[in-house]
Formats: sequence, structure tokens, C-alpha cells
Amino acid sequence: MGYDSILNWVTFDNPVNNAFYPFEVYNVPYDIGAKLWELIGGTLAWLINLLVPGNGVSTWLVSDAVVNALAIILMVIVIFAVGFIINLTMIWQERKVLGRGMDRRGTKIGPLGYFQCVGDGLKTFMKENVVPKDVDKKIYWWALALVIGTGVLAACMIPLSDRWFIMDFHAGILTIYALFALAPFFILGASWAQNNKYSMMAGFRAAELMISYEIPMLLLMTAVILQTGSFNINGIVNAQSEMWFMIPQFLGFITFFICAVAESERAPFDLAEAESELVEGWQTEYAGMKWGLIMLGDYFRGYICCGLIVLLYMGGWLLPGIGGTAVPELVFLAKIFVVFFFFILARLAIPRVRIDQILNAGWKVLMPLSLINLLLVVLMQTGGLI
Amino acid sequence: MAMKYLHKYPKKFRGTGGIRPMLQALKTMVKTTVHRPVTIMYPYEKEWIPDNYRGRPGLRFDRCIGCGICERACPTKCITIVEVEDDDGKIVRRPQVYVGRCMMCGYCAEYCPVDAMTTTPDYELAEFTRKDLIYDPRRLAFEGTTEMMEVHLEEHLQSNLDKGIEKPTAFFDTDRPVLDDNLCIGCSRCAKVCPTSAIEMVVVGQNAKGRDIKRPKLDSTKCVCCERCVIECPKDALEIEEVL
Amino acid sequence: MSELSRTGYQTDKMWVTMGPQHPFSHGLWTLRVKVDGEYILDAEPEVGYLHRGWEKECENRTYAKIIPMADRLCYSASMTWSHLYCKVAEEALDVELPERAQYLRVIADEICRIQSHLMWLAALGTDLGSLTIFLWCLREREFFLDLNVRLCGQRLTTNYPRIGGVRNDMPYYFERDCMRVVTRFEKALWDIINLTDESTVFVNRLKGISYLTRKQVANLGITGPAMRGCGVDYDIRRDDPYAAYDKLDFEVPVLKEGDAYARYMVRIEEMFQSCELIRQAFNALQKIPKTSPYRLKVSRNIPEGTHMARIEDPRGDAMMYLVSDGTGSPYRLKVRSPVFVNVSASKAMLEGCRVADIPAVMAMIDMCLGETDR
Repeated sequence: MGYDSILNWVTFDNPVNNAFYPFEVYNVPYDIGAKLWELIGGTLAWLINLLVPGNGVSTWLVSDAVVNALAIILMVIVIFAVGFIINLTMIWQERKVLGRGMDRRGTKIGPLGYFQCVGDGLKTFMKENVVPKDVDKKIYWWALALVIGTGVLAACMIPLSDRWFIMDFHAGILTIYALFALAPFFILGASWAQNNKYSMMAGFRAAELMISYEIPMLLLMTAVILQTGSFNINGIVNAQSEMWFMIPQFLGFITFFICAVAESERAPFDLAEAESELVEGWQTEYAGMKWGLIMLGDYFRGYICCGLIVLLYMGGWLLPGIGGTAVPELVFLAKIFVVFFFFILARLAIPRVRIDQILNAGWKVLMPLSLINLLLVVLMQTGGLI
Repeated sequence: MAMKYLHKYPKKFRGTGGIRPMLQALKTMVKTTVHRPVTIMYPYEKEWIPDNYRGRPGLRFDRCIGCGICERACPTKCITIVEVEDDDGKIVRRPQVYVGRCMMCGYCAEYCPVDAMTTTPDYELAEFTRKDLIYDPRRLAFEGTTEMMEVHLEEHLQSNLDKGIEKPTAFFDTDRPVLDDNLCIGCSRCAKVCPTSAIEMVVVGQNAKGRDIKRPKLDSTKCVCCERCVIECPKDALEIEEVL
Repeated sequence: MSELSRTGYQTDKMWVTMGPQHPFSHGLWTLRVKVDGEYILDAEPEVGYLHRGWEKECENRTYAKIIPMADRLCYSASMTWSHLYCKVAEEALDVELPERAQYLRVIADEICRIQSHLMWLAALGTDLGSLTIFLWCLREREFFLDLNVRLCGQRLTTNYPRIGGVRNDMPYYFERDCMRVVTRFEKALWDIINLTDESTVFVNRLKGISYLTRKQVANLGITGPAMRGCGVDYDIRRDDPYAAYDKLDFEVPVLKEGDAYARYMVRIEEMFQSCELIRQAFNALQKIPKTSPYRLKVSRNIPEGTHMARIEDPRGDAMMYLVSDGTGSPYRLKVRSPVFVNVSASKAMLEGCRVADIPAVMAMIDMCLGETDR
């Protein structure tokens, strides 16, 4: 290869041609990562080659193995960044819709108030990092990191389309759900470690709530998996190209919606942070940016719930009758925002439910409903209706 | 008369789930998206307030006679009478208001016999220091004082009503100081302090040493019942007589 | 509590201190509750953080200067408190109010009652976790505060009643504005009811908690909507009428259930009744000539004696007791605050409830610390 120009190093190959390409199908974030590295690494290689012509490092920097490794790292960053922006948009949507529903204006900074959330995030960065004296330091920090971490991880694993995913393997939906369901343990730990009566009571509430709502959710998921015959998210979505599962499993859809609102700890089921009696719930002693991150983690959990609803019941990135579109990611996101709008509407209209009522509803209403849904799916499956 | 609400919601009623509230909220959301919400973006736009709004007190310098009724009527003692120069350079007594202590009750405007004190719709009174909150008589002036800003004291006398006369009056029209002749020493301090020069000292006779005995004589039409003579009297010879 | 002991299962009891700065306590006060898990075994209110020496302060002031101070007793029921003070002074002076002043006071009182109840409903909304109810109620309240501005020039500290009448006659546009606001409010209140009574969650949060019996009500001295929600048919406006209430036709809502939901319903119905009262008062006012007196001239000094007056505050039975010594300022002025008495019943109200019920039950007292601590 001649070393006369930078263009020699910036090749923009089809990433699938890379010998180390880790996926079976084309992946957009990987492509973006690979192209980014080819730009950065290519420039670096060219510069090093200018200084020391004919060295081995330049060739190594743009070799298939290095491009693949760096592309995966950059891909993760891209996926997180997109998830983060979706999250900000959801916060903005919530504040704006809540505002209009309450006859006020909502956010005001930036175009349509979009940058208010960014400003608020920056504000929490400015806050003092207050840690109470008698907390159990190790659990206090670790539980926080894990609550947010599992939320973010599960959120990043939600595929936006069949070409925008972090991993495409056969137990995809189970992995997401397993990560999602880890949170109660860390919340319990965090609430215990804070040495505060309010947060402890709220921690117990959160654990009770989440554990009693995970089971109906899993049962409902089982019904969908039964109908599809696959744990693979792609498989579940493709099975809905003709008809959304929302239609045969309408009962399941409604039940799943309620469970999802409860599972993401949003109003009207936000009794783990019931601010009128328990100050700020299990987050009481987390001040400043710690609280900001918990808020972000909460919205990531809301995003996961919306994503699961869209994937399981609303056909993912496919449109009924049309099938795939040119930008399936945007179709998926649009559906997520529609589902999230109903989350917000529930928050807007319904006051907080009491803990005994919510547990009663979970075990005595939603659990039987999900079982009935499962039964219906089995009957329809055996009867050949679907 | 029936009870509208209790009849519609009987005892056993437990609500219609969450659908109706959600529809109601959705309705409001659509309404406020099409029209504008009721929020008033305060520093940029302000609510319309009527002229009779009780903000800080205002003063019409030329009308004021410096009688000091406002000073005594003030529940928080935020008004002090100070001596300032008027337009002709003459020293006159005018109220000065410490707005930081003012509770905006409007008593000064209500009891002012000449309607020089008014309430004003000025409510943005923040200042950087407490000293700036002291409004001297000139600063109390308010541009565009209207008639609505005056507070008129329109009381009715029970004795008048019994007689069938319905004519509003006020204490400064009826209540007058009366003199206890035995206590008066004729020092004429009351005549000096009277803001309306309603009191005139008249010679009523001569004492044993041959000096004039002076007694205050009240011009009832000029008097505004400011009680300054009563307060200033060294021998407590004057007293307000209330007409009810 | 009972469910736990039935199983023989025991958890450690602990005291939780809620307040003086706590989202549920509307103002500065502390509620200490003993909890067994989520159940409340004992409760202990602590008030007095806002004590300003109001009663003592009155002894240094002339009678007229106490009226704006009486406004400051309660931020949301200022009109009734200054009305009560004027009433006790009028009784001491043996003055009969002009008819026009009576109706004006009724209108002002009922506006005050509606906006106070709206404030309560708003607080109940946030306590139950629905900010929408809060903001909708405050939006409606704003119109009534605007009416206060039109009538007497201030939104909250109205300073409207005077001993022997009212401060000023209503402006010419007041009746029109008032009728518009009341008509609009009745529609808007049904909208708010769509968020509350129509919502099963809301109803279930309030129904069946914090029962009070008639006996408890009598022993604890609870008054106001909390008492009428327990089946005690008593309202000072009807049973010991003042101002023009005896000439107006209205119903006193009484419910027998005695739980928090009954107290809620009584208050909502009272708002509708207040609207009706305002309408009737305006109708009666039209028959009184516009030039008729609205304020009598009264003496500055109150003759020696002791006098007592009661009034139906939005929160209950408010009373003032005046000892005068013949001078221009009172010898002693005692205030009986309804909230101060009602809050002492918090143990009876909270026992057996859950922690999540605390805001809902305490909101039913409609806490106002200004009058409680004085």
C-alpha cells in the first residue's frame, strides 16, 4: 500500500466483510462504530506513518481485529448515547404532557422546552455530594450503582430494530427481563444501608411491590412466547407481522400494561417513593447527582417497560400490513412514545394506590388474569385459531 | 333546596375504575394544547388587577394636610410623620412609610380625612437594602392615581338611622374635641399644632394678675378630628367626644 | 394491628417522627407515630412551632387594629376570622348590623369557605399523590381570590369586615363577576369530581379508614366537616345563625359513615351549598337599595364585660372570647381554634390505619397552623 494519502487508511468497508464480524446480520451501531474507528484510527495511522514511515503500528491500527474490537466499544457508546437521548425525550414528553394536562405550561427552556431536562441534569451535577454519617458506606454506594447499572444495561439490550441491537441471541427477552428484575434486591440493600426509617419502609414496599408484579408479568410473557414459539426478540416481532399480539391477547395486554407501570415504579404505583408520607422513599438519603442518576435510572426502567410492551404486544418495529419500513428504529420509538403517553396519562389522572390494595390487586386480580390469558392462549393454540 | 352532589354519589358508589379520570385529564390536555394554559408567565406578563388593589400606600402630596391620622391608624406603626419641604420651600409635615413593615391593610387610606393617602396597585416592592424600603413622602406619590384608589369612610350614625336620615358620614365630620375648662391652662399649644388651623385662642377674661385667660375655640367646619390637640395637651384638658 | 396479632406474628415497634418539615404536614407541626410494620399503633401530635403570641399582641392594640391581625390567623380562611372578631366586638358593643352589611358578609364568608375548601382539596390531592387535583383546584381557587381582590383589594389578607359593618360596598361589577365565577366553578368542580369520586383508586384510599363514632366526636370536641361526617347534625350557620344566614335557605350535609370519605363528601357538598348561598345573597341584596347603609359608626371603646362569639369556620367551630375593661384595647382576647382541637384527635383517627393513610387522614383535619398555634 502506498502511504501518500490519508484516504488509504480510511476505507469504509462493509463491516460484514470484516473477518472478525461478530453478528450474523448487518448491525447499524456496529457499522457506525467501525466507520468512526476507521476515521480516528486511519488518521492516527496516517500521522504515525508520516513521522515514522513504514512502521508496523499503522497497519495494525487499521487491521480487521483492531477495527472490530474498537468498533464494539464505540458501538456500545453509540447505543448508550441513543438510549440516553431517548430517555431525555421521554422526560421531556412526560413533563410537557403532565404540564398541559394540569393546565400549566411544563418545560420552557429551549425549543418547546426540550433543554430544560438537560439543564436540570447539569444542576444536579452542581449539587453538593452529601453522604450521611451513619450509612453503611459499601452497600450505600454499591446498591446505588447496581440499581442504576442494571436498569441501564437492560435498557441498552432493548433492540430498536432488527439491525439495531447489542446482541441477537435466543434467550433475548429472558435476559432483559432477568436484568430488569434484579432491582428489588439492590433497592432493599440501598434502603437498609441508608439508616433511615422512611427509606427502610419504602425499601420493603418496593421489594414487596416488584416481587408481586414480576410473576404475573412473567406469566404473560410466557403466553406470548407460547404463541410465538421463540425466546428470540426478532422471532417474537416477526411473528407479529400479520397481527399484533395485542388483538388475540387483549386481556394480557391490559394486565401487562398495569404490571409494567407498577414494575417501573411510576405513579400511580410509586408507593416506594410516596413523597407525601415517606419523604422521598428509598432515595431519601441520596442527594445531588446520586438522586439525579436514580431519576435517570427510573426513566430507563420506564423505557424498558414501554419497550417490552411494544415488543411483546405491538409488533415491535413492524407496521401491520406494511411490514418493515426504511427506518424501523423510528417506528419502534414512535410506538414507545405512544405507550409512554398512556403511562403519563395514568400518572396524570390517578392518585397513588395504597400498599395493601396494590398487593391485593397484584395477587388476587392480575395473577388470575394472567393465568386466564395463558389458558386462553393455550386453548387457541391447540384449537388452531392462532 | 337539594343536595346536588350527595344525591349523585350514593354511599355504595365506588367509582368507575380509572377510565373516566383519564378521559377527563385527556380532555383538559387537548383543551390546553389548543388554547393556552391558565398560567401567567409572571415577569413577562401580569395579571390585570383592579384599581382598588391594596398595594403599597400612595400619597398625594398637595392634598395632605399632615394631620397624622394615618400614623395613629397604622397597625404596624410603619408610618412616621416627617418634616419636608413642599413645592414653595415651606417646611410641612408629611407621612413617610417604611414599606418593609407595611401590612397593606389600607387603614391609612381609609382614615385619611382628605383622601390624600390612597392605596395603589403597586405590589412589586423588592429592594436590595432595607433602607431602600423607606418611602419618603415624595417617593410615595403614585403616577395615575384614580378615584378607585381612594378609600372612602362611609359610616352611618345609629342616631341618624333612628331618625330616618340615611346620610353617610365619617368620624372626621362628627367627632370633635371638647374642652374641660377647669383643666385648661391656656397654653395655646393646641392651636399651634392644629394642622387645619381650626383652633383659635380667644381671650375669655383676665386672671387675678391681670393677664389674659385664653381658651381654645374650635371651628367645627375645619376640624378633621385628628386628635393632635388632644395628644399635645399638657393637662389632658381636651377629649374627643364621639357622636354615635 | 388486629390482623397481625391474630397470627401471633410480631414485628418491632418503632416511633417515626414526621415533621416539623415533612411533605404531609401542611405547616410546621410534628406527628409522632408508633408503627408496627405499616400499621399505626399510636400517634402523638406536637404543635406550637408557629406560636406568635397573637392573643397577647392583641392586648396592646386598639380594637380596630386587631381586624387585619385576625386576617393573619389563617391564610385561607382570613375572612371568617376577621368576621368572627368583628362579631365579638359587635356583641360587646350591642350593635345591630345593617342589612346590607349582613349579606355582604355572607357573600364574603362563602367565597372564603369555597376557596378554603379548594385549598383543602388541593392538599388532599397532593397527599394522595395526584398533582392534577392540586393544580386544578388551585386554578379554580384563583378565580375566588380574584373576587376577593375585586371586593376588598387583597387576595388573602382581606381585611374586609369592620366592627359595625364592612369596609366598602361592593363595586358595581362585583355581582356580575361573582355570578360568572360561581357558574364556572360549579362546572369545574364536576370536572374535579370526575378525577376524584369517579376514580376507584381515590375512593378506595379514603373509604373505610379512620372511623370515628359520635361518642368519640363528642369526647374529643371535634367540630366542622369532620363532625358532620360522623352523623352529628350541627352547623352554627343554621343552629345559631349570625349575619344573614337565618334569612337564607341552605342544607347542611350530614353523613353517618364517619370515615375519611364521609368527611370528604361533606366538604364537597358544602362547596355546592356555598355557591347556592352566594346566589341567594345576591338575590336578596338586589331588594335592598344601593344607598342603604353598610357600615355603622361604633364607639372606639368597648364597655367593661365579657363576650363570646362563635362562627362556622371552614374547619369547624371557631370562637372568640373577649374580656374588655372599658378602654380602647381588649383586656384579653381568647381564640378557640377548631384545628387545635381537631388535631388532638389524631390518635383516635389514626389508630389501626396504615402509614400510607396518614396524609389522607390528616388532610381531613385541613391543617392550618396559623390559627392552631396563634
